[in-house]
Amino acid sequence: MEPLTLLSLIIFLPTIGALGLYAFDKKAEESMRMFALAITAVTFGLTLFLLGQFDMAQGAMQLQVSIPWVPTWNINYQLGVDGISMPLVLLTSLVSMLAMMASWSIKEKIRGYLTLFLLLETGMLGVFLSLDFFLFYVFWEVMLLPMYFLIGVWGGPRREYAAIKFFLYTLAGSVLMLIAMLMLYFGSGESSLTGGQNIFDLLKLGEIAKAGEFSSGTQVVAFILLFIGFAIKLPAFPFHTWLPDAHVEAPTPISMILAGVLLKMGGYGIIRIAMPICPYGAQYAAYALVALGVFSIIYGAFAAMAQTDFKRLVAYSSVSHMGYVLIGMAVWKINEATGTTVNPNHWQMGMAGAMFQMLGHGISSAGMFFMVGVLYDRVHHRDLNKFGGIMQKMPFYSGLAVVIFFAGLGLPGLCGFIGEVFVVLSTWNFSPLLAVIAASGVILTAGYILWTIQRVYLGPEYKGPHPEDLTPINGRETAIALTLIVFAVLMGVFPYTFGLQMMTPSIENLTQSMSTGYETLHQAGSEIISMSQP
Amino acid sequence: MSPDIYIETGTTLKWLLTTAWLLPLAGFLIEVFGGYWSGRKSRAAAFLAVGCIATGFVCSLIALLTWLDAADLNVSDIWQNPRAVAAATHEVSEATHVDHEHDADHAADAEHHGDHEHAVPAHSEEEHHGHAAHGNNPLKFAFNGTFYTLAKFGRIQITLDYYIDGLTVLMFTMVTFIATCIHLFAIGYMSDELTESYEDHQVHLPGGKHFHRPGRFYRFFSFLSLFCFAMLGLVLAGNIFQVFIFWELVGVCSYLLIGFYVERKSASTAANKAFIMNRVGDFGFLIGLMILWTWFGTFQFANTNPDQTGEQGLFQMVRTDAGAIETEGEGLNRVAYMQSATGEHLLGNDGQARRIPYWLLVVAGLGIFAGCVGKSAQFPLQTWLPDAMEGPTPVSALVHSATMVAAGVYLAGRFFPMFTPEVLLVIAYVGAITAFIGATIALVVTDIKQVLAYSTISQLGYMMLAIGVGGWLAGLFHLITHAFFKSLMFLCSGSVIHGCHHEQEMTKMGGLYKKMPITCWTMWIGVVAISGLAIPITLPYLGAISFSGFHSKDAIIASSLSFSTLNPTHSLLFFIPLITAGITAFYMHRMWFMTFFGKPKDHHVHDHAHESPWVMCGPLLALSFFAAFCAVGGESGPLANLLLTSEPTHVAGGVQAAGELGLTLPSHHEIHECHSQAGMMALLAALMGTVVAYLFYCKQAVDPALVKARFESAHRFLKSKWQFDEIYDSMFTRPVHVVAKWCTGFDREALDRFLHSCASLAVGIAQWDRKFDEAVVDRIVNVFGEVTYAAGRTLKGVQTGRLRQYVMFIAAAVVCLFVVLFLFLPR
Amino acid sequence: MESVGLSGYLIVGAVLFVCGVICMATKRNGIGILMGVELVLNGANLNFVAFSQHTHLGLDGQIASLFVIVLAAAEAAVALAIALNFYNNHLTIDVDRAADLKG
Repeated sequence: MEPLTLLSLIIFLPTIGALGLYAFDKKAEESMRMFALAITAVTFGLTLFLLGQFDMAQGAMQLQVSIPWVPTWNINYQLGVDGISMPLVLLTSLVSMLAMMASWSIKEKIRGYLTLFLLLETGMLGVFLSLDFFLFYVFWEVMLLPMYFLIGVWGGPRREYAAIKFFLYTLAGSVLMLIAMLMLYFGSGESSLTGGQNIFDLLKLGEIAKAGEFSSGTQVVAFILLFIGFAIKLPAFPFHTWLPDAHVEAPTPISMILAGVLLKMGGYGIIRIAMPICPYGAQYAAYALVALGVFSIIYGAFAAMAQTDFKRLVAYSSVSHMGYVLIGMAVWKINEATGTTVNPNHWQMGMAGAMFQMLGHGISSAGMFFMVGVLYDRVHHRDLNKFGGIMQKMPFYSGLAVVIFFAGLGLPGLCGFIGEVFVVLSTWNFSPLLAVIAASGVILTAGYILWTIQRVYLGPEYKGPHPEDLTPINGRETAIALTLIVFAVLMGVFPYTFGLQMMTPSIENLTQSMSTGYETLHQAGSEIISMSQP
Repeated sequence: MSPDIYIETGTTLKWLLTTAWLLPLAGFLIEVFGGYWSGRKSRAAAFLAVGCIATGFVCSLIALLTWLDAADLNVSDIWQNPRAVAAATHEVSEATHVDHEHDADHAADAEHHGDHEHAVPAHSEEEHHGHAAHGNNPLKFAFNGTFYTLAKFGRIQITLDYYIDGLTVLMFTMVTFIATCIHLFAIGYMSDELTESYEDHQVHLPGGKHFHRPGRFYRFFSFLSLFCFAMLGLVLAGNIFQVFIFWELVGVCSYLLIGFYVERKSASTAANKAFIMNRVGDFGFLIGLMILWTWFGTFQFANTNPDQTGEQGLFQMVRTDAGAIETEGEGLNRVAYMQSATGEHLLGNDGQARRIPYWLLVVAGLGIFAGCVGKSAQFPLQTWLPDAMEGPTPVSALVHSATMVAAGVYLAGRFFPMFTPEVLLVIAYVGAITAFIGATIALVVTDIKQVLAYSTISQLGYMMLAIGVGGWLAGLFHLITHAFFKSLMFLCSGSVIHGCHHEQEMTKMGGLYKKMPITCWTMWIGVVAISGLAIPITLPYLGAISFSGFHSKDAIIASSLSFSTLNPTHSLLFFIPLITAGITAFYMHRMWFMTFFGKPKDHHVHDHAHESPWVMCGPLLALSFFAAFCAVGGESGPLANLLLTSEPTHVAGGVQAAGELGLTLPSHHEIHECHSQAGMMALLAALMGTVVAYLFYCKQAVDPALVKARFESAHRFLKSKWQFDEIYDSMFTRPVHVVAKWCTGFDREALDRFLHSCASLAVGIAQWDRKFDEAVVDRIVNVFGEVTYAAGRTLKGVQTGRLRQYVMFIAAAVVCLFVVLFLFLPR
Repeated sequence: MESVGLSGYLIVGAVLFVCGVICMATKRNGIGILMGVELVLNGANLNFVAFSQHTHLGLDGQIASLFVIVLAAAEAAVALAIALNFYNNHLTIDVDRAADLKG
């Protein structure tokens, strides 16, 4: 299949499916669900097919397509995948499929729900596949609106508050991104590489940065704007308070998507846009980024420990886990004198760790939210102090849940471990102090996860309301949980085959291009200094 | 060894040990899923688990023999004197050198190594070898290789490796053997669980009823299998990162097994405590890993491939072929040079010699040791182990005495080449303090499993002490012997508990020796072994007449005596273990006498007590045989000789005045010199302890209650376990929860409040804006409208509808217009 | 014969005009008002013709008066139709009664 057809089909199949839903009778809820599930499954199949076309040994952007969209402003419909976006595309389609399977618990306004869900999937896939900044921005916004309605209509008691908080936060982020985008757009016109044209092409912008043709001031400002925009999505302290509310109020499948995919967009944005286009800015802010990541880890873990709402706890654990992503990307140590990168392999390891952490967290946090949802569907509360003894009532479910929670805890052999430990190992090279603080997170993580397991699953008997509704986990739920566990184990045991192999060449490319970009500016800078000081 | 043999034997060993390692994993998967869907009364899971681990044992045994064969040590050789064996090993190595000289360049390089060192006089050799005794080269008979790659970044990569030397195969054999015995024992011990409705007497429901649940026989065996997999993986691991992986996995197995009775709050809390305290140690471990990774760029122990392909391992980088750390400078400026395969300095990408700050090497060593502290329940992280006795007794025997907790000692032994003298001193002191604390608390506890738990802590302290004072052999020797006699004693206590229907308090036992003779006398073997009692007559080839514990403890005391003689400032390191040896003999005999002798204290317990079935007694007998005789021959026996082949190079010759503190580690020769003296002292201490225990608890010549009353406050202090739990609770647990509250509070009170005030501000501005619109802008527009309207209203009266009037108006208006034009228009 | 002169015509035109206006202002009968209108128009016509004759405007005045005559005819037709209609509705043509459009 042609790349254009394939990539466009991947992105727009869910939209087509959403339109197709209106061919059904309004009462035929079951068939609409099955249809929507089939659409997500086919999308997942298509992404697997895409993986088959993808050459893992290559670090460059592959299967590129570019058609002029608004030629006047050099906006293109430009798509492509590389080792950084490929795994995230797979994660998105997988989590979407599983979340769709988990959507049987939604009972009201099915057609609207399914439509918005499928539109959301289009938005997410579009974000990961687009290579044009403007297109990226459009998909970013496309994804925002369905999410707002999904939380605001199908959410819990405080859904309006949560939805508006989510919307405003993300919108604030995208405004900053818009400013940076325009800065870079008009900045690109001054470069020799574009022939005086203003462009939105991310790859070209990266090349300009590599050649050192964005001034250091532009880069710093643009990076900070972009970073704040993406950090809100990530989320990093102190931009994280939308997350617990959104998660608590969102229905289970939406929580799965939110934690499993949407948070990754923040990390992806930094790694795809902010860092390659503003390497000087990235280096300028590296220490702050790592420090922020470390603080998020510790802060999130502490905050998680004090929660009594099960979902809020998992939400804060996401804040904690995404801190590792931030650290891993930014552990870029340079030689102050020459501007060359010190131990680039360690930085690559950190970045690979960050990427892997995103994937692992996509699996484990989606799983954790699903496991909470299974309980919530039965007893309709999430108060940690009113559980206990679930292991007696639902032994199989509890076994699966404990495995998922251990994946979140970062147990070796499961997906959470590799990311965390790679990031931490690579951090010492950057800053021993921050590395030690980050490593201390393992104690806190173990603390809150084990305490949660003890309060919910262990113990002699269930203490909360509706004990009679604690029926064993059904086949559909088992299938979702087992799929997630299988991926968690495969990624934990064979990290190279299931992830790193794909990412490493692209990450090497990225780090090299950034190093070159920084070095050029650094040398120019030091020449100025040396000229002014004779 | 020629490369052909290396590859051939290495492959054989790899597959044998991999089979032994992975079989329990397969067993686990089948048991945990099959068990869930099959009935609760089937023993199939147990048979599968036993089958897996027993096959593993057979594989390990074959591997041991294969390895001995490859190392040119046949079974009869290792019966001989260690010096002779060392000489034989040396000869073999000479021979291989000759083989290599014809075709390989590196042999020549190795020969010239000495010259090269002279050629670089700028770097002073800090560690001098005290004696000419040639060191053993443990890398000579080690096989390493890679299973698969976990990650690769340019030149650095993280892999899953194996590293097989004498220690590995010995640990494999020991672990699989003990595990097989314990699995068999557990079939009997856990048979209560073979039911659809198990009644748990320790859990009280609000209604006053006991708790009922389906039996969990299969789950127990699946967890045991998973544990065996993790433990064997830990031993087989070829790099420190892989050790960390399996380190965590054994931790989680331990968590699952301690919390096996999930409905008991005490069990789940103990499980959490164990895991979290281990994580505290792992935090240190992680710091060590970070330093090693950043500075060395590899995790491999050593690369022993005779082809010399691939990167150097950590041990080879840190130590020269002679086993010394090459350093330069003083204090914090001191750096250690890394060694290349050819005996030169390893060069970095920039062509400079690669080196690491010496203090970082110390920190890395301390970090790795912190992991060992957590896992081996050393001071100050020892408090989780007694609580871990909440698990079923076979678990205590396997996980919390013989294997997992000994993994810390194993790692300290395995990683010995990376430890600088400063680190070793810390290890020694930590070990000594732990040994003492554990022993003193064991004096006062009355739960039979708690006594054994504290004795485990104490004995692990001994092992650490031995390693710390340079008695590498003594530490690992004790690790093996302790595994046998401690697992034996735990199983015996399990047998007692099973026989007394889950009664664990020794104060309710007594006089059981007639009811359970096998248990009683097998336990006696364990007690004598751990006390280190012996008949001081030396037989040729067999050494003193004694059980295994005597030999190993003797070796530890000898090492510490030798160390404290050489370093007089650290003489505490000799007196503490010596006193502890006496205390050990006392509390072990106290336990034995209280349980089996004297008058029955609780007739209900006594009347219902019975000897255990054969499936439980069989393993006791098998283990008691090894507890008695595994160390036969002492330090010239086969076990010690086998261990000696893995001893790091620099241990045999000792180290003089090394590191910043100028510590001297004793050589084999120096330890041997004070051996008989130390042995007699230790024996005397043990005898005293035994006699006192006999007088207190068997003859009842002194009433223990009186002593207790006399030393009331000391007793209370010991009963409260030196107050560690209280201190940790107030120092760490509660502050963590307070900080956690702060963090959520900050989120809610600061961040969210800020956000909400932003929102209210926006709403406020909007409302003001609305008011302005209404009051000002709209008002102006309205005034225009109103004025127009009023004007229209006023003019309405003119509109009469009378035509004639209109004509008059027109006429009048025209006239007026003319008049105005006439008057005002300029002509 | 001695020429009358412009002012003669203008005086006659003004008298006609004033008579027409007085007629319009005093008659209550609709037909009477129409007659007044005719007088006003003819007064105006007289002015046109007179100016046309005595100035350099040429035939413009005559043409304009022709237009006025046509317009007056049309106006008379329309006005008579209104008067008839008004009579049909009110049985009178007294213009003082026609105040329906009063504001």
